[in-house]
Amino acid sequence: MAFNGNSGNGAPSEYITLISSDDFEFTVLREAALISKTISRTLSNPMMEARTGVCHFPEIRGVVLEKVVEYFHYWYKHRDQLDVPDMPIPVELCLELLMAADYLGMDSKPASRDAF
Amino acid sequence: MASRPNKPRPIRRPVISKEGGEFEPCWDILRGAMIDIHNKNASELSFENLYRASYKITLRKKGHLLYEKVKAFEEAWFQNNVLPSIHELISSSLTSIAMLSMPALSLHERREMGEKFLRAIRSRWEDHNTSMNMIADILMYLERSHTTETKQPSIYATTIGLFRDHILKYGLATGAEDMDGHLIVFDIINAVVLDLINMERDGDIVNRNLLRKVTSMLEELYETDEEHENQKLYLTVFEPRFLEASRLFYRAQCEKLLRESDAGAWLRHTQRRLREEQERCQTSLSILTVDNITKVVEEEMISAKLDEFLAMEGSGIRAMIDNDRIEDLSILYQLISRVDKSKSVLKTALQTRVMELGLEIEETLKNTDFSNPAAAAGAAGAGADADADETAEAAGDKAKSQPLSGPAQQTAAAIKWVDDVLQLKAKFDNLLTTCFDGDLVIESWITKSFRDFVNMFPRNAEYASLFIDDCLKRGLKGKSDEDVEVVLQKVIVLLRYLSDRDLFERYYQKHLAKRLLRSGSELHIEKELVRRMKIEMGNHFTTKFEGMFKDMELSKDLSTNYRDHIRNLGDVDTKTTDLNIQVLTTNSWPPEIMGRSALQDGSARAEVIFPPAIKRLQDSFYEFYLQDRRNRKLTWAASTGSADIKCFFPKISGKDTGPLSKDRRYELNVSTYGMVVLLLFNDLADNESMTFEEIQAKTNIPAGDLSKTLASLSLVPKCRVLAKEPATKTVKSTDRFSFNTQFVSKTIKIKAPVSNSSSKVERDDERKETERKNDQTRAHVVDAAIVRVMKQRKELSHTDLTTQVISQLAARFKPEISLIKRRIEDLLAREYLERIEGDLAAYRYLA
Repeated sequence: MAFNGNSGNGAPSEYITLISSDDFEFTVLREAALISKTISRTLSNPMMEARTGVCHFPEIRGVVLEKVVEYFHYWYKHRDQLDVPDMPIPVELCLELLMAADYLGMDSKPASRDAF
Repeated sequence: MASRPNKPRPIRRPVISKEGGEFEPCWDILRGAMIDIHNKNASELSFENLYRASYKITLRKKGHLLYEKVKAFEEAWFQNNVLPSIHELISSSLTSIAMLSMPALSLHERREMGEKFLRAIRSRWEDHNTSMNMIADILMYLERSHTTETKQPSIYATTIGLFRDHILKYGLATGAEDMDGHLIVFDIINAVVLDLINMERDGDIVNRNLLRKVTSMLEELYETDEEHENQKLYLTVFEPRFLEASRLFYRAQCEKLLRESDAGAWLRHTQRRLREEQERCQTSLSILTVDNITKVVEEEMISAKLDEFLAMEGSGIRAMIDNDRIEDLSILYQLISRVDKSKSVLKTALQTRVMELGLEIEETLKNTDFSNPAAAAGAAGAGADADADETAEAAGDKAKSQPLSGPAQQTAAAIKWVDDVLQLKAKFDNLLTTCFDGDLVIESWITKSFRDFVNMFPRNAEYASLFIDDCLKRGLKGKSDEDVEVVLQKVIVLLRYLSDRDLFERYYQKHLAKRLLRSGSELHIEKELVRRMKIEMGNHFTTKFEGMFKDMELSKDLSTNYRDHIRNLGDVDTKTTDLNIQVLTTNSWPPEIMGRSALQDGSARAEVIFPPAIKRLQDSFYEFYLQDRRNRKLTWAASTGSADIKCFFPKISGKDTGPLSKDRRYELNVSTYGMVVLLLFNDLADNESMTFEEIQAKTNIPAGDLSKTLASLSLVPKCRVLAKEPATKTVKSTDRFSFNTQFVSKTIKIKAPVSNSSSKVERDDERKETERKNDQTRAHVVDAAIVRVMKQRKELSHTDLTTQVISQLAARFKPEISLIKRRIEDLLAREYLERIEGDLAAYRYLA
């Protein structure tokens, strides 16, 4: 893989890579992606994804994942603000986006990881 | 990863792909992953893959099945892979630790073994916890939808609870999960932890980090899978045992200290233990326990044996106070504040000690021999800290002079008494601020005790006034404002304690009068002091003193005006006497000064016969005085004045050398009586003499005063302007006096000693007199108070009346009940009051 999640000295890279079912690759700011509980847990468990910084999503189409990534950055950019502009969502993607959101655990505001 | 064909579709149906959607394949994936996770072999697994597996199962409504399967899997895993290794760990010696019977192992071995065991438990726990976390993360989707709907405990709680059920509660003796009567692993953990803590308390070094890990494990485990906050195993099982063990430990400690050590060591030990336990909670246990363990230590180390420690000879509270063991007392205060908010133990101890020390002062005073000036001065010097220099000087002066006369001894005693009281006060003030945190409650106890013992001393008012007199005349001259401030504050502190303020007022008035008339003190300090008294005790207390100040000021103007007036008359005569007059208002000044004491004895006032020159002056002034005022009468109080006389001693023929060969001029400062007497000798020819009786007849000076005056003029070497025949040391009524032509002095200005210039302690008869007068005044004051109360209330019971009167008079003095009763009877007799019929103990006011 061209992009390695871990930079040379072991500190996790600032960016991670998300790959859709149709092999589109998206490079996302790690912090922005963490609002997805699923991604956040994926990266925090010492498994393959945490090591490589790459997450595959064989259930999500590129066009949907693109919208998700857009939302990540949209959320990250406005995370501390009030009165933010709406993010345009194409109607035809609504159902798929909803399912992706459910899958990615984005049904509520990202809380700090439970105190396990 | 299965990659999917990318063909466009209008709308995608729900994303459950056909392949891998069944339960079994998904579960196989998960089960394999769980084994890998337990074996710490997870790094090659794809989280997303596993997550997706549980996601699919959950979407297909098979969540409950997954839940059960995971649970069963974990239980099996425990039985087969974890328990055997734990069992191996538990050696028989550990069991005996749990039995609390001391094993025949050395401390070191016991610690090693205990720590090894805890380490093993901890590492099992950490493994389990990590695995459960990962598994719970994988099953996140299950948890989000399934367990939330069914209200089952979360998968994490369930699987983590396995550790509690299967390891902690694992019975030792049988190996079965038989809870009753058998030792379980949890007991051993507790026993080992407590054993290690006790080792640390005894000074050993133990692995705190390990302890903390184990206790945090207990904090993360709950009694049930519902995970109620107050059901943490730490709180339900460990903490009670820990507290109980600590209680036993500290009870033994405290008893040992009581047997073998002293209170100081006990204080420090207790303080250290409290700190250690708090630290232990932070480093080894849990901060949840801080309050509880603190309470245990407080109860066992402080409350339990507090009285015994405080009563310890040589190190108890008495010794702490006496030796100013500041640190001990500070710790004691902190400790007692912890266990008893009212601090009653401290209260009793402090009050008793203040009283004892106060009475000791009185006792010392009785036993000190003030006739030995060095001892007296030494005693006073020991007491005075601020006035150390002053006292040393005074001691030097006194040492030169002969043994102190009776009254002077008494005065020294008075000053010593006040000094000692103030010193005691300073001591306790110091303790209060440095040890007791300026605690207001403690301050009020101390004040109360001081007041009690000061008022048990019968001559307090007189001594206080004498002390002030001494300070103002001697102590404060040339001192900086700060020093003056210190003294003034001391004085006010002392006054605060006095309850017989009317008596003090009487003495102070007398002493102040003397100071003012003889300019013996600095007026601005006097005024400042009186101003403070006013703040402290109210207006009525100082009206007389203020009147005195006012008189002094008016008199000063009057003297100046009179001088101007004489000058304006034109008949400037060098021989006129310069008059400096002080017109005193009768009510403000003490009767002794005003020469009224004689009146009260019933005898006629002795009018001093002034020499004609003086008489003219008096008349002239009276005339001037009446220019602005009508109907005033001036009485000349010769006993208090003084005069400067210019004396001329002609040279004595026959002497060619030495001072006697020349004319000598001196300025002599004598009392008014002295002036009157000396002027008599102006009319006398050389070599003529007068007897005591002749002088008395010509001047009409009271015999006592005359005797003193003549003594100062004929006995004291530095101003012996009169020669006495016979030349004995005392003045008798038969002695003859003549002009001493051979008088020589090195200085031009001479001050004749004025015998009654310094204020002394009263002799017993004088004192009785003062008290009698004071009681008279009190009778009137009580009368007035009774009438005031009755006028307002019309009818009142005896008890109520008494209470009201006492409260009205509290600011001035503490009336005796018998006095009030007598005054009521007197008022009944004088028909100001009458008894209410049928009720003997009630009165009605008769207008």
